[in-house]
Amino acid sequence: MLLQLNNIFKWVNSGGQRIFLLKDINLEVEQGEFISVMGPSGSGKSTLLNVIGMLDSFDEGEYNFLDESVHSLKEKHRANLYKQYIGFVFQSYHLLDELTVKENLEMPLIYKKVKGSERKAMVADMLDRFNIVGKKDLFPAQLSGGQQQLVGVARALIANPKLILADEPTGNLNSKQGEEIMELFKQLNEEGVTIIQVTHSEKNAEYGSRIINLLDGRMV
Amino acid sequence: MLKNYLKIALRNLINNKVFTLTNIVGLTSALAVSLLLVMTALFELSYDQFHAKKDSVYQVYLSSQTPRGLESGTSQPVPLAPALKADVPGIKHAVRTLSDDVLAIYKEKEINLDAEFSDPAFFNIFTFPAVKGNAENPLSDKNNVAISEEGAQKLFGSTDNVIGKSISLQLGKQEQLFTISTILEDPPPNNSMDFDIVIPFENHPEYISNMDRWDSQFHLVYVELEEGITPEQFEKNTRDFTSLHYKGSIENAIRDGAVANADGLYKQFHLLSIADMHFTSFASGMAEVKRTFPYMILGIAFVIIFIVCANFINMNIALSERRLKEIGMRKTLGAVKKQLFFQFWMESLLVFMVSTILGLVLGNLLLEPFKTLFNTRATLDYVTQPKILLIFGLSIFCVTLIAGGYPALLMSRLGTLRALKGKLDFGKNRLRNSLIVLQFTIAILLISGTLVLHGQIEFMRNKDLGYNKEQVISIPLNGKKDSYRVVELLRDELKGNIDILNISGADNNLGLGRDGSSMNSMMGFDYQGRGVVTNALTVDYDYAKTLDLEVVAGRTFSRDFAADSLSLVINETMAKQLGEEDPLSIRIPMDDGATTYSVIGVVKDFNFQDISKQVNPLTLFMNNDWDLYYAYVKIAPENIAGSFEAVEKAWSKIEPQAEFLGSFLDENLDRTFRREKTMATIVTSGSILGILLSCIGLFAISMLVVGQRTKEIGVRKVLGASISSVAILLTKDFLKLVALAFIISTPIAWYFLNEWLQNYASHVVLSPLFFVAAGLTACLIAFATVGSRTLKAASANPVKSLRDE
Repeated sequence: MLLQLNNIFKWVNSGGQRIFLLKDINLEVEQGEFISVMGPSGSGKSTLLNVIGMLDSFDEGEYNFLDESVHSLKEKHRANLYKQYIGFVFQSYHLLDELTVKENLEMPLIYKKVKGSERKAMVADMLDRFNIVGKKDLFPAQLSGGQQQLVGVARALIANPKLILADEPTGNLNSKQGEEIMELFKQLNEEGVTIIQVTHSEKNAEYGSRIINLLDGRMV
Repeated sequence: MLKNYLKIALRNLINNKVFTLTNIVGLTSALAVSLLLVMTALFELSYDQFHAKKDSVYQVYLSSQTPRGLESGTSQPVPLAPALKADVPGIKHAVRTLSDDVLAIYKEKEINLDAEFSDPAFFNIFTFPAVKGNAENPLSDKNNVAISEEGAQKLFGSTDNVIGKSISLQLGKQEQLFTISTILEDPPPNNSMDFDIVIPFENHPEYISNMDRWDSQFHLVYVELEEGITPEQFEKNTRDFTSLHYKGSIENAIRDGAVANADGLYKQFHLLSIADMHFTSFASGMAEVKRTFPYMILGIAFVIIFIVCANFINMNIALSERRLKEIGMRKTLGAVKKQLFFQFWMESLLVFMVSTILGLVLGNLLLEPFKTLFNTRATLDYVTQPKILLIFGLSIFCVTLIAGGYPALLMSRLGTLRALKGKLDFGKNRLRNSLIVLQFTIAILLISGTLVLHGQIEFMRNKDLGYNKEQVISIPLNGKKDSYRVVELLRDELKGNIDILNISGADNNLGLGRDGSSMNSMMGFDYQGRGVVTNALTVDYDYAKTLDLEVVAGRTFSRDFAADSLSLVINETMAKQLGEEDPLSIRIPMDDGATTYSVIGVVKDFNFQDISKQVNPLTLFMNNDWDLYYAYVKIAPENIAGSFEAVEKAWSKIEPQAEFLGSFLDENLDRTFRREKTMATIVTSGSILGILLSCIGLFAISMLVVGQRTKEIGVRKVLGASISSVAILLTKDFLKLVALAFIISTPIAWYFLNEWLQNYASHVVLSPLFFVAAGLTACLIAFATVGSRTLKAASANPVKSLRDE
């Protein structure tokens, strides 16, 4: 088992009232799953993803990731944990504008303190695998949206994470580009990577092996 | 329309509270301080400018070619002024002036007044208006004197019914009666000739004996040229006159191997405009007019304004990036360039206006402390002249136009669509970065200036001057009694006190005493067929012992030898100049061979003059016919306060009428570099303010930059960056700028400080440590400023910055 959420609650206080963002979430994710999280706007999809990614905290409940209890970990250990095991893909790619494709890919490795020669090899490998060798010296602004997201996925993958969290990865792409990215996810999943994606599109959700529906912070 | 602009401007300012506030605080303090600095500078520059005839009145100085090189002197012989007027064409008036302390006696009252001995034409060429009495010719009679309001107030207690009153003045050894003919307005503070009373020149005790002597020079001469006569013509006109009257000394100069100047002359009279007088130094041999000090102050004021304006521009540009959407929107609604520009400018103008008003208020509040701190008598009147106000208004207008207008121009030129998208590229922030670099260059310059100035002051204060400055009190002999008697009485009075070690006297002070007077006394004579120049000092017994002077050879004056009035004690430099192997064998004939002096001892060189000068040749005389002006008392290192009190008590017993102005020699020394201290205070406060303002700017900029880079920070953190690595990444960019500033400023600072230190014969070594310290200080402060901001940004949760909405 990769991760387990037990009775997760998350709320904000507004005007003396508690507004629940997540309400009693129970979820188990096995290695190799491909989960699609669906639901209308404001239902808590992104919040759930952020909690799983340890970017956001929660107010009540237990979260175990690879037998580590995340809820009792300190910030620094949590950061180490997600640095090592989780890769993120965003709707608006969030590539660093002032770095080239190659340098963007290198970034997570630098933060993981991977040695220079090894880093080069891994980057070259990834460029090869995604067929973007020719674009390695271009800046994000010189790429199309699909290409940028490709780089985004490549960057998420480069550190060999166990889990990829994707928050509407195709939201900013046209249908053809979106399809390509989803195909890529499917392929990665077949290679053994666990993926959790948030999506609005029924069609994209079909790529997953399991669909979770959220409504007002609650699983339905 | 205008109302609308104002409303929007106000709202925008309120929305960006932090920036508006930092801008206003920065601008206000900068304007207040600059106001005070400009005031000081203008006051300095206004010195002697109030004379109505400042364009035609000059001080006369004589440049001489000597074997030691070119030397100039403003001291003139008594017959010069009348002779100039009589023999040289083109001179309307020639006036002698001599500043001296005079004891004035009226009924029971005895008061020391600053006197100016001068000729009647004094009031023709200088502008010192009369309040009461004879305004046309105050010195119409040899026994008439003119007194200032303050002087009258001191002596009579009022300025009413003073005209015609008789007072007696102690001139030399006797008292003489005078009649007050005129009350003068107090001389303005920006005046080189500070006096309470003006006395006809003929009454000076030295006048009679020097009436026809050209070789005894002890007073200043001013001339007013006739209309159409230039100083160059005067110089030409006086050539024959000079070779006639200075024939003897010219011949001596030729004999001793002096080289003639470009015109083939050995002596030449020059004129120095009285408007330049206050700013002149004769260090290089010729008069050099340098207004460095006031211009430096103006420079600092300007630099502070610049720093704060750079902040303003930087913040405005950075802020405007946030407002791109608004601009795009306005453009789609039909705003044209001019309107947008006007709107942005309006905001800047508003901030500046508020700051100006606050700055004026603050400046006024700080006026009094400022005046004491910087020891200036300047008032705001020097700033509130219409001309200055106009310049001030215009410069504010220009600064707002640049500070507010530049970002406004950049943005109003932007295409509507690009603005709406919110993307703006200001050439990679080059302007912002260069402004920051410039700010820090200035800050580092000022810091290193501060460090070196203080270093030099400390150096001068701690330098071994060759005499004991901690244990010796010098007392100006400002009473009525004969000076030798006063010293003798002091010895008697303090004989029983074991803490009083020695008492002596001399005719000159060491350092600057509380009486505020200083003088140089020089003489020349022929020795073995060549001219020798020396400083002369008349001393009493025990002088060397009292001051702990080291006797290198022979002995000093002693009561055991009857004939010591014909003995000389010289310093090492003088001995070197005389060039004898055994200085004790030297015999010097003086007064055309009438008397022969013999050297009985040599003392080690000590700094008897200004500490910035090299030690010059010095000869000590002991002659009871020549007055002493200062008593020296050496006390034991224990119980210093008690001993000082004992001396003061003894003084008031001996001279009950005269004020006790005794002070320790180290205090006197401190007084001589009052100017350096003022400079140090100004530069120090300038640098503190400069660095503070630069940091305010840096802080605001770092806040904005961090704001712009939140997305990047978020991404980096999600990718696994630690807090420290992000903080370092952000801080590094700023520290790079500071480092660049350090590289730029160090050579500049080194050059100027080195130039400045050349004014001092002995000075602190300009070690690289000064600059390293300045650079480190700047770096550290910048780091502290930026660090807190970046650390906060780095520890923020990335989820917030990465939300896609």
